[in-house]
Amino acid sequence: MDILFLLVPLSVILVLIILGGLWWAIYSGQFEDIEEEGERILHED
Amino acid sequence: MTLDVGTKVIDEHLITELNMQTVTFNKSKNSRAVNSESSKELIILDEPDEWSNFSNKLDNGADQWESHLVVEGMHCASCALNVEKAVKALPGIISVDVSAASGRARLVWSAEQTKPSIWMTAINKAGYRSLPAADALMRDDRRKSQRLMLWRLLVAGFCMLQVMMYAMPAYYASPGEMTQDTLNLMRWASWMLTLPVMLFSSGPFFKSALTDIKQRQISMDFPVSLGILIAFLVSSAATFEPSGWWGSEVYFDSLTMLVFFLLTGRWIELRMRNKTAGALDVLMQRLPSSVERLNANGESERVAVRRLMVGDIVRVLPGEAFPADGTITLGETKADESLLTGESRPVSKINGAQVIAGSHNLSTAVQVRIEKIGDSTRYAQIVALMERASVDKPRLALLADRIAQPFLIMVLLAAAGTALYLWQVDHSRALMTAVAVLIVTCPCALSLATPAAMLTVSGKLARSGILVRRMQALEALTNVDTVVFDKTGTLTLDRMTVSSITTHQTISKEQALQLASAMAKHSLHPVSRALVEAAKEMAQAQGDNKAVKAVHEVSGAGLTAESELGALKLGSTRFCEMSEVDVNMSNGSVVHLVSDKGWLASFEIVESIKQDAASCVQKVTEAGLQVQVLSGDKLAAVQRVADVVGIKQVFGDCSPQDKLAHIQALQKQGKKVLMVGDGLNDGPVLASAHVSIAMGQAVPLAQAQSDFVVMNGALSMLPYLITQANRTMRIVKQNLTWAATYNATCVPLAIAGMLPAWLAGLGMALSSLLVILNAARLAKIDTISS
Amino acid sequence: MQTLGSESLTYHDTAVRQFSIMAVVWGVVGMLVGVIIAAQLVWPELNLGLPWTSFGRLRPLHTNAVIFAFGGCTLFATAYYVVQRTSQVSLFMPKLAAFTFWGWQLVIVAAAISLPLGFTQSKEYAELEWPIDLLIAVVWVSFAIVFFGTIAKRKVKHIYVANWFFGAFIIAVALLHIVNSAAIPVSFMKSYSAYAGVQDAMVQWWYGHNAVGFFLTAGFLGIMYYFVPKQAERPVYSYSLSIVHFWALIFTYMWAGPHHLHYTALPDWTQSLGMVFSLILLAPSWGGMINGMMTMSGAWHKLRTDPILRFLIVSLSFYGMSTFEGPMMAIKTVNSLSHYTDWTIGHVHSGALGWVGLVSMGALYHLVPKLFGQKQMHSIKAIELHFWMATIGIVLYIAALWISGVMEGLMWRAINADGTLAYTFVESVKAKFPYYFIRFLGGTLYLGGMVVMLWNVLKTATSGQPVTASIPSVASHV
Repeated sequence: MDILFLLVPLSVILVLIILGGLWWAIYSGQFEDIEEEGERILHED
Repeated sequence: MTLDVGTKVIDEHLITELNMQTVTFNKSKNSRAVNSESSKELIILDEPDEWSNFSNKLDNGADQWESHLVVEGMHCASCALNVEKAVKALPGIISVDVSAASGRARLVWSAEQTKPSIWMTAINKAGYRSLPAADALMRDDRRKSQRLMLWRLLVAGFCMLQVMMYAMPAYYASPGEMTQDTLNLMRWASWMLTLPVMLFSSGPFFKSALTDIKQRQISMDFPVSLGILIAFLVSSAATFEPSGWWGSEVYFDSLTMLVFFLLTGRWIELRMRNKTAGALDVLMQRLPSSVERLNANGESERVAVRRLMVGDIVRVLPGEAFPADGTITLGETKADESLLTGESRPVSKINGAQVIAGSHNLSTAVQVRIEKIGDSTRYAQIVALMERASVDKPRLALLADRIAQPFLIMVLLAAAGTALYLWQVDHSRALMTAVAVLIVTCPCALSLATPAAMLTVSGKLARSGILVRRMQALEALTNVDTVVFDKTGTLTLDRMTVSSITTHQTISKEQALQLASAMAKHSLHPVSRALVEAAKEMAQAQGDNKAVKAVHEVSGAGLTAESELGALKLGSTRFCEMSEVDVNMSNGSVVHLVSDKGWLASFEIVESIKQDAASCVQKVTEAGLQVQVLSGDKLAAVQRVADVVGIKQVFGDCSPQDKLAHIQALQKQGKKVLMVGDGLNDGPVLASAHVSIAMGQAVPLAQAQSDFVVMNGALSMLPYLITQANRTMRIVKQNLTWAATYNATCVPLAIAGMLPAWLAGLGMALSSLLVILNAARLAKIDTISS
Repeated sequence: MQTLGSESLTYHDTAVRQFSIMAVVWGVVGMLVGVIIAAQLVWPELNLGLPWTSFGRLRPLHTNAVIFAFGGCTLFATAYYVVQRTSQVSLFMPKLAAFTFWGWQLVIVAAAISLPLGFTQSKEYAELEWPIDLLIAVVWVSFAIVFFGTIAKRKVKHIYVANWFFGAFIIAVALLHIVNSAAIPVSFMKSYSAYAGVQDAMVQWWYGHNAVGFFLTAGFLGIMYYFVPKQAERPVYSYSLSIVHFWALIFTYMWAGPHHLHYTALPDWTQSLGMVFSLILLAPSWGGMINGMMTMSGAWHKLRTDPILRFLIVSLSFYGMSTFEGPMMAIKTVNSLSHYTDWTIGHVHSGALGWVGLVSMGALYHLVPKLFGQKQMHSIKAIELHFWMATIGIVLYIAALWISGVMEGLMWRAINADGTLAYTFVESVKAKFPYYFIRFLGGTLYLGGMVVMLWNVLKTATSGQPVTASIPSVASHV
């Protein structure tokens, strides 16, 4: 199972990337006052 | 938002600036140098103009102030104690009261001896963050802390999931199935992903543990940090050197899980706190930070609410809150005053109507002339009241505070003892068992049990228009066996009604009333208003409008007028020159209508009794409480009211001293007395009862001496309040029992080594969660029985 | 770039229109091939004795056509449409978007030619040879540039949840495709995988499972989160749930792959790991299903009158059903019965026909009239007809394969008292004959529905005009 030596480090990197995405999402306020956002798509276009 | 970017005022800049300074200060680690630096910056707050933004002056003559702070970083009962300790010792601090549950502190301090910068620095030095409880600051700060918390939680969560994945194979692979290479790879990967959890997510635990060491004190985070650290060190050692005495077992999965559960507990706690203390916060944050003011040219400019002056004209848009008390000068709208008066329906506001600060403009933009600002508004009074109540500690919470510290020391000893004992058997097991003990015993649930319930219920009560001024009173309310009502303004409304009409045969009741009302319209006397009201109610039946001319008021006696029936007089028996004998009406007061030809009609005027009075008394009686009425009014009048509402024990003609003596006599007999008054004339009486409720429509709230204030004065709130108090105490008791049982069962299990560290973490988080959720049941909306 | 400098005031919908029409066209083609190979299973003579019409060559053509041509075009169309609407800006680099259209069509045509000719890497759902793989990579990166470029220049601060799903789908598919297709070319149309033996299998099913997870699930959940609320005219039931289930889903899906390799040379512990994560996967999957369904709460009556909404909601129930079935089949003991049988194919089709197919059709029915300036589709009756043909088709199909699969599995494992097998393999094949016929009927019905849709779409498109929708002025949002 040598492939694990590729897949496991890859998964570590992937987690870090996902965390990066989360960090951005939290600090750009993507998760605040969200229930209104669901409504908004109904009012545009 | 583009709207006000350009016109944002200086204050906003000031606030952000201040905020940034505080933040930089707190982030820095180099404490001593920075502390003095930051104290310099906190000096801004030493200007009376600045501190008055979050402080009220006490009116006891001395230059003493009551300030409210937001204190962050408190996660347990002993934290609150630590903050109190840090400040209490300072000169010039008269009292300090910290609530861990609401994250707030109230300080009373003397401006002659100390300054805000001094005590704020002291709190910060103790390892907590303190900020003036001014809204703009707080809101921004809360958002930041929420983001950080969420981020810590999610880092822990994702790393935990991943570490679990690396750890899981080792559990179900049969021995030898996984090669040593693969096992090592998994450990390395686990270690990598545990690092962010240790270095970042667990930060708050370590930070407060470190402060504990510096301050030679102990809080809940100390044993938790110790546990995390030991687990990490043992596992790291096993990863790099599996043949050492520490054994080859790794606990990265337990460790990350533990941190994740702990943080989840805190996160939920934070969210619940924001929600349950919701009413409090909503109310405190009600005032907008800026408002459109119209200048002399009629142009509008955005200014900070703090800059408003009496006499300013402001434009309030729909959806905005009114910034101050005032009168509408242009337009009409509907306002939501529910949080301030308990009136749940929108109140319509026409031109000239009064609006109150903190109520919401619902329908259209209006212009308002400012009449009262700042502390003199009703809003400010309510906020002050609620701020004080939120830091008031019930007896049970005080108990929890007191036992937290010794308990934690025992925990440390127990963990050390266990480790020592097991050391001879198995080094690595000894360490991990100690870790489990450290974690499972955290008395978080215990310290949350009471405040969580109290906060929830006070938030809920506030939403139905009841302010809790003293948390302790909720407990006292459950023991009450005698309810004493005041009469005027409590059982009765402060207006009068026409109860019966007798007329001469030449005139109908309707006509008589019409005539009287036409005259009474010109007077503001309560009796006149009662006549006008009565006529209005009857108006549908009546077509022709009686014309009266030349109405003239004879002060303190009655009215005269001209009409087609001749010269009319409306007033007291003597004014109308009638003999007492002609009148066979017994209760209340009587007014007559006479013409120059003779008597036309008599109207009996009585105090109007609150509609819900009878049902309230009935409910209270049914609950097994004795009910009395105590009044300064004439016995006959009191008796009449008592008969209507169904109270058997009636005491009239009481002077304030008599009332006080009466209450004290009851108390001597061992009765627990609940006094219900209007809060205006019976202050000392209210204060001397075990529990007191003010039916406060007219009350200047800040002066109300009662434990509770029912803002709309509805008596139906009384049984509701008693039910709520009973439910609250039941939940508090459940919480305490649960928390104590949890600790009592789990500690021995952990010591016996039957509880792995991750399960201990889960147990601890769940027990706290259960307490909070149990308290949240109180917030469930139930219909107010009317 | 025509829009550089002056910001466009209208949406760029040309690519959306092209992809929408081609989605329907490829849908018909792909399903037709499916029906042909289903017929070949009933009547083997239908492979005509020719190599390029044999089952083995047409089957990858069918899967590629329905997944990447029909599903792919739908995803391109909806992603381009939704990202513009929810960001309130026009597409970033519309010419690159045009390139993705033509590039993607080229990939499809190349597949349609090369697969029957027998060029294949023999990896399921990744059969295409390396030159086509390279083209796919280029098109996909362009897709990512257009999509994320549009997100980057958005005028709305919040990124709507559908875009998170689309974004995750685009990134994950790029990653999966590049890792799995790593191969060493030996000639123009021949290459060898960069991995060997069981490693190759592991990578292939890491890819294969995530193709389902990200292409067929995340992408279509993106569609669901926009078009269900739109069509029902109700906001998503719980917006927080949608975010939580997004993160949980993308995180869990990544590791469930080994369940495709139960009882193979893959180490046992890896298989068990795959099983555990497959079971965990049930939670986020159902989170999405419940969220979509509950969006209808208070508007259930609309289902009676609106066949488009019915497409969307029934697709969600199939999603719920197959995401329940999947984890169950990942349990090793269940898998020992289901593996290699028709049950697996039934499971795939309840997901593909029920979830992916119906949700795509619902979204396209919503989209096409808007794109051609029509109030509604040419014929609502035809949508109604399509709905019933599709639903009955699916039910026939999956019921037949379910029975046949379980029967087959039981026959394979049945042993006599002396330990010999009770049935020969061919006996199990013969026993499946009636079910293969029912499956053919089901497939034909489903295809028939799709033909009705093609007619309806073409009628709607030709009776209308391509419209240029203008972007509403962004006033109230920052």
